[in-house]
Amino acid sequence: VGEQAHILPGTLDLLILKAVSLGPLHGYGVLLRIEQISRGALLVEQGALYPALFRLVRQGLLKANWGTSENNRRAKFYELRAAGRKRLRQEEDGWNRLAAAIAAALAARSEER
Amino acid sequence: MRIFGALRSVISSVFRREEMEAEMEEELRAHMRDRADDLLRSGLARAEAERRARLEFGGYQKFKEECREAAGTHFVETVMQDIRYALRVFRKSPAFTAVAVLTLALAIGVNTGIFQIFNAVALRPVELGTRGRMLSVYQDFQVLHPPLHRNVHDSVNLFSYMEYTAYRDQNHAFSGLLAYVPFVEVTLAGEEPKQLLGSLASCNYFEVLGIRPRLGRAFLPSDCAAEGSRGVVILSDETWKGAFAADRSILGKTISLNHVFFTVIGVAPPGFAGMELARSAFWAPVTMQPAIHASGGQRPDMLADDDLSWLKLIGRVRGNLSDREVLADLSVISARLDRHHPGAVSRLTVSTPTFVDMPDSRRIIVGIGRVILFAVGLVLLIACANVANLSLARASARRREIAVRLATGASRRRLVRQLLTESLLLACMGGALGAALAFWSFTAILNHVLSTMPAGFPSLNLHLSPDVRVFAYLFGLTVITAVAFGLIPALQATRLDVNAQLKEEGSAAQSRSPHSARTQRFLVGLQVAVSMVLLVLAGLSLRTLYRAQTVDPGFAIQNLQALSFDLGTENYTPAHAAAFELELIDRISALPGIEAVAQATALPLGNSHFGTSAEVPGHTGERNVELNYVSPNYFTTISLPIVRGRTFRAEEVRTDARAMIVTEAAARAFWPNADPLGKNLKLNMFESPVYEIVGVAKDAQVSHLGEAHPIYLYLPAGPAEQTDLKLLVRPSTGFEVSQKLLRSVVAALDPTLTGDVHALSDYLEQWRAPARIAAELSGALGALALLLASAGVYATVCFALSQRIREIGIRIALGADSRDVMRLMLWQAMGPVLMGGLIGMVCCSGIVWGLSRVLYGLSSYDPISFIVAPSFLIATAVAASYIPARHALRVDPMVALRYE
Repeated sequence: VGEQAHILPGTLDLLILKAVSLGPLHGYGVLLRIEQISRGALLVEQGALYPALFRLVRQGLLKANWGTSENNRRAKFYELRAAGRKRLRQEEDGWNRLAAAIAAALAARSEER
Repeated sequence: MRIFGALRSVISSVFRREEMEAEMEEELRAHMRDRADDLLRSGLARAEAERRARLEFGGYQKFKEECREAAGTHFVETVMQDIRYALRVFRKSPAFTAVAVLTLALAIGVNTGIFQIFNAVALRPVELGTRGRMLSVYQDFQVLHPPLHRNVHDSVNLFSYMEYTAYRDQNHAFSGLLAYVPFVEVTLAGEEPKQLLGSLASCNYFEVLGIRPRLGRAFLPSDCAAEGSRGVVILSDETWKGAFAADRSILGKTISLNHVFFTVIGVAPPGFAGMELARSAFWAPVTMQPAIHASGGQRPDMLADDDLSWLKLIGRVRGNLSDREVLADLSVISARLDRHHPGAVSRLTVSTPTFVDMPDSRRIIVGIGRVILFAVGLVLLIACANVANLSLARASARRREIAVRLATGASRRRLVRQLLTESLLLACMGGALGAALAFWSFTAILNHVLSTMPAGFPSLNLHLSPDVRVFAYLFGLTVITAVAFGLIPALQATRLDVNAQLKEEGSAAQSRSPHSARTQRFLVGLQVAVSMVLLVLAGLSLRTLYRAQTVDPGFAIQNLQALSFDLGTENYTPAHAAAFELELIDRISALPGIEAVAQATALPLGNSHFGTSAEVPGHTGERNVELNYVSPNYFTTISLPIVRGRTFRAEEVRTDARAMIVTEAAARAFWPNADPLGKNLKLNMFESPVYEIVGVAKDAQVSHLGEAHPIYLYLPAGPAEQTDLKLLVRPSTGFEVSQKLLRSVVAALDPTLTGDVHALSDYLEQWRAPARIAAELSGALGALALLLASAGVYATVCFALSQRIREIGIRIALGADSRDVMRLMLWQAMGPVLMGGLIGMVCCSGIVWGLSRVLYGLSSYDPISFIVAPSFLIATAVAASYIPARHALRVDPMVALRYE
C-alpha cells in the first residue's frame, strides 16, 4: 500500500463518469477501475460510491441495466449516456484548467531575494 | 374509473418502491461479497475477509438512506411520514382540528355549491349523449359603413333561414348542421288549454344530434320540404307523460298548437329536453313557423326574411377537424353571404354547446357569475384568515417543539414542508366535508328557490350532479386554501432563534415574537375588513329587498286582476275582437262587486312593452318613449291621477283620434317650460302621426319597477288595437274577484279561447324576484361571514389573553384596577378590528358605488346599512373579546403567577 489521498469533495462524480466511459461496469467494478486508473493513489469510501451512482442515473448521465458479471453473478451494470459523455468532457476541461491554475500558482516563487 | 386509475398508480408506486429497495439491497450486498472474495484471494481467512469488506464499505444503513434520497424514492416516504405525524398532531389537539375543519368546510362548501350551480348553468356542455364533437356556430357583424340592415329576433348572433341553408349545404366541416329556435310559446288546445314552451327545428335535428325517439320516428327531410307543408310534431317525454298520460297510442293522433293541427309522429327519449336552460316541450319543423305564429289573419314569415337573426346553429364536426379548420371552411361561405350586406363583414365563432354559449348572453351570465363567485370567495378568504390565525397561535405554542427539531438537525425546508402537509391535510378534510355539504344541500336549496319563483317560470333543464369541472374547482380551491392559510404560519414558525428559544426554557414558549403578533393583528384586521364588505352588502341588499317589497309603484295594484288573451293568434278580426271585448266587459261588469273594467295593450309592470321615438314637430331632439293604448277609464281603474287636462273621450276612442295623455316626466322632457296641454307630439312610426296632448298623468312606475319618472305616452285604444287589448278588472272595496269566475266568463263567451288570468301583484312579484334572491343570497353570505369573523376574533383574543395570564396576574397583584386592565385588554383587541372595519367600509363604498348602477333601487349611501352593519360587527367583536377577557380577569392572581 503506497501513499493514498482521499479524493476531493465533488470529484467522485467525475471519477465515476471517467471510469464508466471506458466500458460498462458494475458498482464494485467502478471501484476497481478507479483504483486501477489512478494507480491506487486515490482512496474512495466504498459505500459512498452508490449514492453517487444513483444520483448520476437520476440525472440521466448514466444508464443502469441488470446483467451477469464475470463470475456469473447477477449484477447491475452502469453505462454512459450521451449526456454523461458531454458532462464528462466539460468536467475534464474544468478540472484541467483548475489543476493547471493551481499548479501555476504553486510554482510561483518570491522574486525579491 | 378515475378513482381506480389514481389508486392503481399509488399502488404501483408502492410496489416499485419495494422492488427498488430489494434491488438496492442486492447491489450493495454484491459489492461486499465481491470485495470479500478479492480479500479472500489475497490470503485472508473468510471471516476476516468478510469483516474487512463490511468495514471498508462504511455505514451501510447511512448509505442506503442516501441512495434512497438520491434515487428519489425518499420523497414518498417523507410524505407518508409527514402525514402520519400530522394525524398525530390532530389527534392531540382535537378542538383546534374540529374548528379549523368546520370553518374550512363551511367556506369551501359554499364556494363549491355556488360554482356547481354556475357550472350547471353556464359551463357544462349540453348533454347530448352522443359520440363525436358538436359545435355551436354564431356570427357577429363588423359594420364598416353603417347602416347595417338586420332584423333581430333575440340576438344578432343568430342566423336567417337563407343563411342556415347556405351553411348547411355548402360546408365541408360538418357531417350535419342543424338549426332551431327555442322558447316558442304555444297554446295546446284541450279541455284545459295549456301553455307550452317548445322549439322549432330543422328536419335533420334529431339525426344530427344522434337522438332516436323513444316512440315513433324522427323528422324526415320531406317534413321540411315546403313552408307549412307538414304539421308534424315530436313531443318531449315530459309532455307526453304530463299532458297525454303516457298514452302509447298517441302516434298519428292530431293535437292543436296555436290553432294549427299537428300530427304526433314521435316522443323524445326521457332525459332529452332540448339544448336550452328551459326544457323544450315539443319540436315542430321550422317550416311551420309562419303557421304557428299566425296572428289576426297575418302570417309573419320569418323563413322568407333573409336579414333576420333568429336561428341557432349546431353542427356535428366531421372527422377530427379542429375549431380553426371548421372556422376556415365556414368563413368561405360567410364571405359569400357578406355580399348581401354591403358595408358589413360577418365574423363567425364556434364553441362547445352550453346553455349560454351565445356570445351576447355569455358575456352577461359569466359576468354575473364572476361577481357572485367573487363574493363567496371573500367568505373563503375570511375562513383562511381565521384558520391561519389559529395556526399562528398554535405555532407559537409549538415553538419549543420546532426549536428542538431544528436543533437536532431538521432542515427549515423540511419543517415548512411538514407544516404545509398539516395545512393541506386540514384543507382536504375541510374540502371533503364541504363538498359533501355542498352536493347534499345545494340541490335542495335550488329547488326551494325555484319553488318560490312566480307562476309561469319555465321548468329547468339543470344537471346539478358534480362533474370534472366541479371537482377540479373543489380541488384547486382546497390546495389554494391550504397554501393561503398554511404558508405564512409555517414560514413564521420556523424562523426563530433556536438558541434563545431553548435557553429560555418554559417561559419562552409563552412570549410571542412581535412578528407573529403583528401577523395575527393583520389577519384579524383582514377578516374584519372582508366581513365588513360582505355585511354592508348584505345589509344593502336586505334594505333593497325591503324597499322593493314596500315600494309604492304609484298606482293601485292590490286585488286587481288582469286578463290577457291573444285574440290575434285566435284569428279574430279587429271588428270581431271589438265586439268580443265589449260583450266581455259587459258580462264582467255585471258580476257582483266589480267596480271597473279597463282596457290596455300593456299591463302595468307587465311583460310586453311598446316603444318608439317621438319629437315635438319643428324641434329637433328625438326621445325614446313607451306607448300604451288605453280605454278612458284606465286611469281611474288603477287609481292613477290625471294631474292636468282630462282623460280620453268616448268618441276619441271610437274614432282612434290623435289624442294623447303624457306623464309629468314626458311633459317636462318635451316642453320644459311650457304647458303641454294643446301641444303636438309626433311619433316616429308608420305614417308619423301627430298627436295633440289632452292630459297629463301623474308619474308612476307603470313600466319598469324602479323607474319612477318614465317618458310614457297614453293613446286611446281604438278600433285598430282591439286584437291586442288586455282587460284590467277592479273589484269594489271589500270585494275580491275570483280568477276561476273570470275564466268561466271568458270560456262561456268563446270556449276555444285560452284566457290568462293573473293578479296584477304577480307582475310586481316578477320584478321583485331577482332582488329577493340576491338579498337572500347575500344575507346568507353576510351571516356566514359574521359567524366566521366573530369566531376568528374570539379565538385570537382568547389566545392572546392566555399568553398574558401571567402579566394580568402581576398587574392585579400589584393593585391594578381590574376595570382598567379590562379596558386595556379590550382596547388592544379592538385595535385591528377598528382598523379592518375602517378599511372594509372604504372598500365597500367603492363596490357599492359600482353596484348601484346595476341593482335596482340600491342607493350607494344607504345610511342604515352603513351604520347598522358596522355597529353589529363591532358589537360582535367587543362581545367576542369581552368574554375571554372577563374569564382571564377572574383567574386568581396566585394561580396566574404560577401559570406555566
